[in-house]
Amino acid sequence: MTEKDRQAAAQVPRLAAALAEAAGNRSFTFMEVCGTHTMAIARYGLRQLLPPGIRLVSGPGCPVCVTAMPDLDTVVAMARLPEVTLCTFGDLVRVPASHTTLAVERAAGADVRVVYSALDAVQIAADEPRRQVVFAGIGFETTAPTIAAALLTAWEQGVVNFSVLSMHKTMPAPLRALLDAGETQISGFILPGHVSVITGSDVFNFLVDDYGVGGVVAGFGPQDVLGALLALVRQQRPQISIEYTRAVTSQGNRVAQQIIAQVFEPCDAEWRGLGMIPESGLRLSPAYAGFDARTRFAVDPGEPREPAGCRCGEVLRGLVDPPECALFGSNCTPEEPIGACMVSSEGSCAAYYRYQDLEG
Amino acid sequence: MCLAIPMRITAIDGKMATIELDGLSQRTSIMLLPSAEIGDYVLVHAGCAITVLSEQDAQETLDLLAEIGAFQAELDSEDERGD
Amino acid sequence: MTGDRVLIGHGSGGKLYRDLVRDVFVAAFANPVLERLDDAAALASPGGRIALTTDAHVVQPLEFPGGDIGRLSVSGTVNDLATAAARPLALAAAFIIEEGFLLADLRRLCASMARTAEEACVPIVTGDTKVVQRGLADGLYITTTGVGEIVVDHDVSAAAVREGDAVLLSGSIGDHSAAVLAARGEFHFDLALQSDCAPLWSLVEGALAAGGTAVRFLRDPTRGGLTSVLAELAESADLGVEIEEEAVPVSPPVRALCELLGYDPFVLANEGKMVLVVGPEKADEVLAALRRHPLGAQAARIGAVTSAHPRRVALRTAFGTRRVLDMPIGELLPRIC
Repeated sequence: MTEKDRQAAAQVPRLAAALAEAAGNRSFTFMEVCGTHTMAIARYGLRQLLPPGIRLVSGPGCPVCVTAMPDLDTVVAMARLPEVTLCTFGDLVRVPASHTTLAVERAAGADVRVVYSALDAVQIAADEPRRQVVFAGIGFETTAPTIAAALLTAWEQGVVNFSVLSMHKTMPAPLRALLDAGETQISGFILPGHVSVITGSDVFNFLVDDYGVGGVVAGFGPQDVLGALLALVRQQRPQISIEYTRAVTSQGNRVAQQIIAQVFEPCDAEWRGLGMIPESGLRLSPAYAGFDARTRFAVDPGEPREPAGCRCGEVLRGLVDPPECALFGSNCTPEEPIGACMVSSEGSCAAYYRYQDLEG
Repeated sequence: MCLAIPMRITAIDGKMATIELDGLSQRTSIMLLPSAEIGDYVLVHAGCAITVLSEQDAQETLDLLAEIGAFQAELDSEDERGD
Repeated sequence: MTGDRVLIGHGSGGKLYRDLVRDVFVAAFANPVLERLDDAAALASPGGRIALTTDAHVVQPLEFPGGDIGRLSVSGTVNDLATAAARPLALAAAFIIEEGFLLADLRRLCASMARTAEEACVPIVTGDTKVVQRGLADGLYITTTGVGEIVVDHDVSAAAVREGDAVLLSGSIGDHSAAVLAARGEFHFDLALQSDCAPLWSLVEGALAAGGTAVRFLRDPTRGGLTSVLAELAESADLGVEIEEEAVPVSPPVRALCELLGYDPFVLANEGKMVLVVGPEKADEVLAALRRHPLGAQAARIGAVTSAHPRRVALRTAFGTRRVLDMPIGELLPRIC
């Protein structure tokens, strides 16, 4: 453990006690909307430290999990094109599309390459001018500017054999959709730490102004999540505050915001489980439309097929906990995932599966 | 989403920086953080530095949390004493 | 020798082949048994139980910080024999070489095999060579088969494991995977770290001497990492395993890499580490013996076998919370989420 980790660990029991004290016998349902928070909660077993009155649900914060089936099928269709080198983050490789996965396609001969950064994909395109490099763009506002940076680099360096399949989505809109649907009573939100680094916390003010629901932007250590929960429980009135002050400000990263606005523009997007949400996606702006893989390659993704019995949509809306899905743990496991919530290591179902009651 | 880790900038060359943490070193883009300087701790996500971390704030956060814990404990003992 | 590269003709069994064997393999592995160049090596029988194992090695890149495919091929097989409490007696090595492979590279890798074999006090007594067309074999594949003499009379296997046994680990995990990943260059990072690739028989021998019949189970956490070994152990023994997360040594560069790419250090491969399950009465002594050995300096007691949650491995975090460690799925994939 590093010294910082040690200090953090020392805070955890105190925070857990303070949280129990502050919550008293009140009941709360808090929603986190960031897959990395889902992971952190599972990794540190934080649910075991919560008082009985606090229920934590996962919302639509895992970019893999919310990617709609037609988009996944489009990625597969592009990967199958002989001239295409499909570059992707590792997160997408095992996700079940309607009939296959990128891993299976790669075994069948598709040129699928995992990259850590979209900039690496641009480099691959520069190094292999005879290939058409398509980058599968998933992720929210934390990742979108990195793809924008890659596109700007490709443009500046004249790397014309590079294109992006944008499946990017933005965060505030699905929260609105969730609250408008009113399906779950949410006492407050644990807001995404790294999305907020880019957007700033002010973009979440509408939660208070329009819905009277508060939120705290949290970091990813156990002390951060517990600290944010404590702050939420102690809110006298709904407000948006920042626990992750070492990285997040109210205004965010202006340069990143400007680069996103330069390369992308908002569009309507389909979210798995939530349906079409207006202005919640990003597509390439007219100036960069030449890099749009959707127009460069005419592919037919075919009819999307949702697996029977899969309740990922309801899980993503915080309506059911993973164990309530009949497929959970039986037909749908991390080894043989049916839905995205299980295949993504930060999907709610995968996180739940790993953190299971050991007393059984 | 968003795996991002804090790493220290050890060199800058144009739009790229060399970053280091505990014996791991890499190059990252600072296109999103043009004001970054050598010695800064930055959060790195998918090959780009996205913000400079404030060490000061990090320490303050820890202190604040410790205070809350201590404050709460005080409240508890006051309750017990019936103040 | 014709030119400086391996030719298809070198695999064809005639004079070129004999030249290659003599000038590269025999020259590197020099021992009386090998020099007879028999197809099958005749060995003296040890008289007790023998252990037999085989391993194919296909690592890329062929050379990486801290090791190479040659060192790996010897260490891997010696270590497999060690898990059966067997002293290595002899190794056989089969090479599949890509046409065009540089002879200088082959010699260097054989020299590394020879050095590693000497460290492990085991001769390479026979072998085979095939040469395949350019484009196949990624340069070189090596398969090693080893035979060893089991030096204990008691059963060393999952069946011998009991509730209350201590779980020991000989050192830090993840080093090999991290070093190879860095060397592969796919994700463009540098690491101040080397693979831990090493033959472990002498380490295990010391542990057996210290622990005697209390040494119940030995396994090296190669592909699939520590989690795989523990998960398989729990399942085979029909018992639970509980591990203290903070007790498992992970070196800072490995930790940083895992945070960067989203890997779990517990599933990364190791090529110079051993997991030992030891009866509690001898655990301290065995741990001390491991720590006295240069390859076990960071050895630690990481957990225990329990009757709770049979067939499951639980990890206790630094905060006292627990989670399940499941068998890793397969391909190691970096994440951004």
